[in-house]
Amino acid sequence: MALPKSGIIIPRRSIAGMEGMWAKMWDPPTTSPATPELCAPTNPVPAFMQSIGLAKVSRLNTVQRELIDGVTITGWDGTPLTCMCLGDKDIPLAKGGTYPAPTIRVPRGVVFHAETVGKGPPPHTIHWHGIEPTPMNDGVGHASQEIGQYIYQWQPNFIGSYFYHCHRNTVQHFEMGLFGFLIIEPPDAYLGGNAGGYPRRTAASLAAFPQFPGFVAGDLASGDPHAYTVPYDYEALWVCDDMDSYWHNIIGQEAKAWYPAILTRPGVDDQFWHGHFHDFNPDNWFITGVSVSNAPGVTGTIPGGVVVPAALNSGVTGMQVSINATTNNTILVRVLCASYNSMQVTFPVDVVIIAWDGRALGVPPLTRYNYAYKVPANTPIRYSVARRIDALIRTTTPVNSFATVEFFNTRGENVPGREQIVKTARIPINIL
Amino acid sequence: MKRRDFVKYGVGGLATLVVGSKMPWLMDNPAYAAAQTQNLNFTITDAVKEMVTHEPGNNIATCYFWIYQSNSPSFAPDCPGPQIYTTVGDTINISITNALDENHAFFIPGVYDSGPIAPGATVTGTFRPSRAGSYLYHDNLNPPVNRVMGLHGAFIVMPPNLQGTRAQGVHRLTPYDRPTPNVQKLFDDFGRAPWWPGLAWEQGDPAANPPTPPFRQYVWLNHQASPVLFEEVGNFTPGLDYSATAFMDGFINAPFIATNNSPLMQLTVPPIALNPIFNKKPHFFTISGQSGHFCHNHPAITPMNRVGEPCIVRIMNAGLWTHSMHMHCNHHFIVCVNGRIQSNPIWVDTFTSKPMDIYDMVIPYQRPPDVPNVLGIGRADISPPLTTINGHPTWPPIEEFNVYQPALGTKKISFLNPLVTVDIGQRQSPLVYPMHDHSEPSQTAQGGNYNCGLISGMNVIGDRNTPLYKNFPRDADWDLMLTLGNGAPVDKPGGGNNPP
Repeated sequence: MALPKSGIIIPRRSIAGMEGMWAKMWDPPTTSPATPELCAPTNPVPAFMQSIGLAKVSRLNTVQRELIDGVTITGWDGTPLTCMCLGDKDIPLAKGGTYPAPTIRVPRGVVFHAETVGKGPPPHTIHWHGIEPTPMNDGVGHASQEIGQYIYQWQPNFIGSYFYHCHRNTVQHFEMGLFGFLIIEPPDAYLGGNAGGYPRRTAASLAAFPQFPGFVAGDLASGDPHAYTVPYDYEALWVCDDMDSYWHNIIGQEAKAWYPAILTRPGVDDQFWHGHFHDFNPDNWFITGVSVSNAPGVTGTIPGGVVVPAALNSGVTGMQVSINATTNNTILVRVLCASYNSMQVTFPVDVVIIAWDGRALGVPPLTRYNYAYKVPANTPIRYSVARRIDALIRTTTPVNSFATVEFFNTRGENVPGREQIVKTARIPINIL
Repeated sequence: MKRRDFVKYGVGGLATLVVGSKMPWLMDNPAYAAAQTQNLNFTITDAVKEMVTHEPGNNIATCYFWIYQSNSPSFAPDCPGPQIYTTVGDTINISITNALDENHAFFIPGVYDSGPIAPGATVTGTFRPSRAGSYLYHDNLNPPVNRVMGLHGAFIVMPPNLQGTRAQGVHRLTPYDRPTPNVQKLFDDFGRAPWWPGLAWEQGDPAANPPTPPFRQYVWLNHQASPVLFEEVGNFTPGLDYSATAFMDGFINAPFIATNNSPLMQLTVPPIALNPIFNKKPHFFTISGQSGHFCHNHPAITPMNRVGEPCIVRIMNAGLWTHSMHMHCNHHFIVCVNGRIQSNPIWVDTFTSKPMDIYDMVIPYQRPPDVPNVLGIGRADISPPLTTINGHPTWPPIEEFNVYQPALGTKKISFLNPLVTVDIGQRQSPLVYPMHDHSEPSQTAQGGNYNCGLISGMNVIGDRNTPLYKNFPRDADWDLMLTLGNGAPVDKPGGGNNPP
């Protein structure tokens, strides 16, 4: 250790009087509490999925989740990658876990319940990213509990794009695949004939963009389920992810890798390890679970025609990854950065950004301070981990091209001469 | 906790200099160890800092830094340097002495530039900040080495005319001299619009317990520390600058080393060899100099306010890694990015903090909107509220308030006295939510030890808009946290009690 010329030592602060807060911060308890302030769940989606033969509902109006299930996927060069995944015991296609986890779609305003079991080994949590309930339902161990078993309860209030993931030892568990997408839809999305298909509606404020037909303004407080929504005919989900095969195949075998422990005297005999979770080096990339071809540093493409099965999309048929659409139709693209690196997405057509992080722009009163905006074709949209955009496309002329997603090393961004694009992925877009 | 106790214990917190015009709203806040001055007097020197996972004899986790130390007023030395608050138009006199072996500097972009200060020399100067906003003072020589080694701190310029009599104008005060119309509209709506009931940003509540300051604001100064690399810089030939290229090669691109000292990893197949060596990439991550518990549970770093008490956070990044800052509980408005006040302030749950980026955001401190309610559009219930199966209101969550996790009666041995046991049971009240980097490697320390990284949060200590629940229940450790421990004097660093 370099001895300071000054002789100054900066001591670590004392934890006296705050031993409980110190201990819980990184060694939270494993419990299985009852859900406080329990309400009756009113989510119609599980019953809908059962009605079309995709699920067998074990608990009324309740989504099932278990974590972890071990799933092996295949990397760009055929190397198997061990993943930790979320499963759904009510849905045969999702019973053993999937990467990414099944997309949960929920109508705004219902009381949502997820009956969740931690296993394989426990404990785990589910944090619903962008959803804002009480701490016990927020899924963060140090602010509540790790489970065990628990019914997470919340009521979605804002239509838009979100995701969910395990928040225990997140650096490892999130990277290993314990996440899925979450879509909040208008209150009537699962009523009527379009429950399982398209067109659907999402939140937006589009008075300045009359090219998108069907936009309804109105007043949210009136109870109109369509207030400040726009219909869309096609939907694409781009969950842009990366994986470090060393983390997966070596460290992944030890679910408690470098997990600290309180022994008998907090702040004195705590157990802290030395490891390498500060050092992430991806060598595999995925768009919504689809492997991006080619080696690190070499541009890769995902196949055309990739569609998400309805069983993994809350019963809705036809959500795409690679886009196949038609002119004079509205296409909604939801783009999440699920990697540990930053990304930028570039569309070959004009898009209108209607929402960030599940908050539609320009919807009064709470977002009367901002507005939807156009991003011209070939303009990169750059953002960092966990952020997501909702982008609308509508074109009168055909498109046969690609969107590009470039992944930037999170180390060295904005540092002159040091920015590094570690991978470029291309996603086919065909609009006929 | 009596109100006068907050004033008596008021100086244990985050080192803060108030230069020029008085700021009683800052000086009275016990979370800040704030001192008023007309002059800045700094020495550039070095130090070794005990990091978050430091356990003497068990895990010696320290890191060498270069630091700005305030001589008068005198604060305990730390990295980053003290926060500096000043007001547009104030005159600041500055004196900086370089006690290290190579040239150093003190630079605030667009405000002041000391130029190179030779070893042993002192440079003096005068400047007047002319634009309100958030700045990073730092050593801009041999970039980025000197800054990343620890020579940086936050410099905040408040707009003029905050003090004294001011008629209840059409517009509320904002952190800026010239806000955009949409940013002005947001600050006007707090406390006036029915969807943001409570206080305006400029309004405090001195009668509350703890008192609510006006102009509520926080600084999250993100940084990354590499003990291996910083030690090499510290041991480098006196008088010579360490190569910036070599520094960045190590900090950004050092080859992967399978560092590992856990016996559990011996059980994998194949076992991972014990290897105590770290590479030169940083393995500590800090907000305002602290990690894990020490920033998350620090009331000058982590907002601990009531529903209806909006606040701003100024977020800076003095290092070389990007942090993707995700807040639970509330979305926040991005109002200023790198000096540009936003015409289109988006409402997000996550935003990007790249190296040398500075952005300001506003937390509305609304009731968490996805607690079940009648309307389902993110608005608090008026009357009657939504009720649960048991017939209680869903908010405030009083059933949740009475849960303890760990349970009451969970005992460990006291930190101060091995003959005493402490109860580490934790009440689910007040409400605790994290803010963390979603680029998760920064949530670690020493390559593991999740949740000992760059983490803050927003805690909800009550609700102004719900009768009888202006304060949520608090146990003794919460009161201790809010006052930072038993009257620690102004010259000690904050975040808990004094070191023994």
